[in-house]
Amino acid sequence: MGFPLPMKKPSTNTLAMLGIAVMVPAAAAVASVGASTYRELDRFMSVYERVKGDYVVPVDDKQLIKGAIDGMLSSLDAQSSYYAADDRSTTGTSGQAGIGLTLTVEDGALRVVAPAAGSPAERAGLKSGDFISHINGELVFGVSLTEAVTKLRGAPGSAVALTIARRGRPKPFDVDMVRALPAAQTIGWRVEKDVGILDVNGFNQRTAAELRAAIEAVGRQLGHPPLGYIVDLRSNAGGEFNASVQVADAFLDKGEIVSQRGRDAAEIERANAKKGDFAAGLPIVVLIDEGSAAAAEIVAGALQDNHRALVMGAQSYGMGTIQTAVPLDAGGSIRITTSRYFTPSGKSVDEKGIEPDLPVPQLSDADRPKADPGRFADLRRQIVREAKVDQAILEADTDTDPRFKTTAEELKKQGVTDFQMAYAVKTLERLGGAPTAATPAAARRR
Amino acid sequence: MNGQSMRNSLLRATALISAVALLPVATAALASVDGQTSRELELFTEVFEKVRADYVDKVDDEKLIKGAIDGMLASLDPHSSYLDARDFQSMRTQTEGSYGGLGLTVQAEDGAVKVVTPTEDTPADRAGIKAGDYITHLDGKLIYGGTLDDAVDQMRGRPGTSVRLTIVRPGRDQPFDVTVTREIIELKPVKWEVKNGVGVININAFSNNTGQAVRAAIAGIEKSLGHAPTGYVIDLRSNPGGLLDEAVDVSDVFLDRGKIVEQRGRQRGDYERFDATPGDNTRGLPIVVLVDAGSASAAEIVAGALQDHHRGLVMGERSFGKGSVQTLLPLSETTALRLTTARYYTPSGRSVQEGGIEPDIQVPQLSDPDYKTRPRFREADLRRHLINDAKIDNSVLETDGRDDPRFTATPELLKKQGIDDYQLYYALKTISRIGKAPQMAGAAGQMPPATRAPRSR
Repeated sequence: MGFPLPMKKPSTNTLAMLGIAVMVPAAAAVASVGASTYRELDRFMSVYERVKGDYVVPVDDKQLIKGAIDGMLSSLDAQSSYYAADDRSTTGTSGQAGIGLTLTVEDGALRVVAPAAGSPAERAGLKSGDFISHINGELVFGVSLTEAVTKLRGAPGSAVALTIARRGRPKPFDVDMVRALPAAQTIGWRVEKDVGILDVNGFNQRTAAELRAAIEAVGRQLGHPPLGYIVDLRSNAGGEFNASVQVADAFLDKGEIVSQRGRDAAEIERANAKKGDFAAGLPIVVLIDEGSAAAAEIVAGALQDNHRALVMGAQSYGMGTIQTAVPLDAGGSIRITTSRYFTPSGKSVDEKGIEPDLPVPQLSDADRPKADPGRFADLRRQIVREAKVDQAILEADTDTDPRFKTTAEELKKQGVTDFQMAYAVKTLERLGGAPTAATPAAARRR
Repeated sequence: MNGQSMRNSLLRATALISAVALLPVATAALASVDGQTSRELELFTEVFEKVRADYVDKVDDEKLIKGAIDGMLASLDPHSSYLDARDFQSMRTQTEGSYGGLGLTVQAEDGAVKVVTPTEDTPADRAGIKAGDYITHLDGKLIYGGTLDDAVDQMRGRPGTSVRLTIVRPGRDQPFDVTVTREIIELKPVKWEVKNGVGVININAFSNNTGQAVRAAIAGIEKSLGHAPTGYVIDLRSNPGGLLDEAVDVSDVFLDRGKIVEQRGRQRGDYERFDATPGDNTRGLPIVVLVDAGSASAAEIVAGALQDHHRGLVMGERSFGKGSVQTLLPLSETTALRLTTARYYTPSGRSVQEGGIEPDIQVPQLSDPDYKTRPRFREADLRRHLINDAKIDNSVLETDGRDDPRFTATPELLKKQGIDDYQLYYALKTISRIGKAPQMAGAAGQMPPATRAPRSR
């Protein structure tokens, strides 16, 4: 092909002269650029030109710049992304059905944040923390989040095969699933031993109303108020921000729910609870795990910091950033992280997630990674102690809590398939003997 | 005071103008080449500015641009990349085949640095450091939180300088200190041994002087036997490649004449051909070349050249399939661009891109208990790999699940017989059979018995 090859490029000096005359007005557009910015842009340009000039086949400008923008944004975080003007992958033409997975990218690898309750992914047994190495036999190491989501979406009823690597399993394994439309309901409920269990599986516009209906249904079924409620936020990767505020508000009479802070320290946006508690002050246990993220963490953090609930389970995922779509003059848009959530006590949800008041391991999970035994654990503890780093690592390495020694096999024999839930029900059940002492504080006194 | 602040603001102003000037400048200049280019560059600058202004944290220009360059190169193919100071240095180490350091191979294990193995006859080896040791401190400073690369950087340094390591050894109650003086460590890309009268030459990379090292290995083999061996096994398994010149030189060791490889660049005239010089250091003795899915690039050039000239029988499994050539383009003193600039073709005009080198005899690694389930990553599995113009579909071959009746031994059975590398064992057996018919040892004559023999068993 007679592709017009750029002629020997004029030297940079000539270029600079030309440009200063022409382009100075543009200066206003770039705020606070320093000499280092200049150097960096210069570096980019020199790579760009070498690629255009020397690559093994002629390359398309569009492809190069899209790659550059994608790379720049993914160097920030996994959630920031670029949508080209002619990109249709996000408008849903590829199909709305999926497998109900929330994903993130960690060091280039696709990691499961959480499978949605009742979704094909959950039925297939996927778990928070699983790594996906292949989608339909194709290696997906290094793909962007947007690309991965596009690959997973399709027509309802179509099949997807994933290859999964899981900690605690020696080998990767394959899982086949059939795509389905997401469930309409975000709240499920049931009653167990006079305890109302509220299963929150997502956050959308209808969630708060569904929650109110579920609380009423629990009371109706029992004929009297329950001993308390369990709000199950496990394997819930979040959803709409407003819905999380409404759900937290449903259990709070007053106080702050969450704040948003952007780059400017003075710019804080707070959400506060309105009067009224759907649960009428009854004791609440909130269950969280590694798959509780974003909106779910906002709820757990708000109820924890306001001492409205006892949070049980495992440390949550830690995803507390807000992305904003920024339209581009050139067409298309970028979606970048512009602020973070903080719980009422001022903890960043993004950093460490929510730590449960009472850590309860999911003993019924046979794949649960075993504690690091033997001398290496000691060595690691010693190193950590000396470095005076993360206290949490030290705690994680101590001996098993005598309450939590049962094995998955033993539990299975006893008919317990969800140990965290069973433990939460038992905790609330203990309140049964003292029906007047229906506050979390009283529960602890016993 | 006043004067200084004025000078500062003046400086800033100058910086600003030059900073802003450059991009549009380059844009304007390129615009004469292509209107599309300028539009795309404007888009890039706009995103850059918006991220700098609106991202939740203040962002580092260097990080953003590095991300952009990485992303741009990743959009091309899996082998083009930007080398920052550290990458550039480690690339030099790989190609030069030497570095100043201790001679340790280490890996990260849950935040600690674990010794995989000390290289024989290096300062680390002489200081008594053992495989399985944990290194906790360097010069009394705890290694924690940094990456493995940080630790490796600290252990490397000018020859003659020293570093004190604190070692925790499983089985010892107390950690202990060892002071080690750095030396020039030669990475030895070529190892050799003699097994059953056959010379086994293991090439694990193609760094500087690999060709010379192969000649030395041949001389060493002949000397240790006192006569020529029955034949040679050239083990190219798990060899990720290296320098093109060295691949040519290694092939030349075994070839008397003819084309070794040809590389073709972007333009029609951009074409380079490498030929063998007269002389075969192995004097026509039978050769088996071992390859597996980890044999890539330079290793595939050697295997392809010996296969196409019928100079070696290629055994093992299909190779990686990387048929592209990268050029190192220095951008500054410490940074460089590794860019795909050409494709190469074997003497018969094949490109190994995607398809790899198909062995003449498929020999599974039966001694590996996980052989069948172990995932293999080849070029075609990599995202955005270059597409071979002549598409090769090996899926039918690869999916043939029936066991070859020759290859039914189990890992346990082999272990009992003391065979821990079945592919090498099979190669040696093949050569020994040929050895019994020395008149057949010519380059052309060697093939038929080798392929026929297994069938007659």
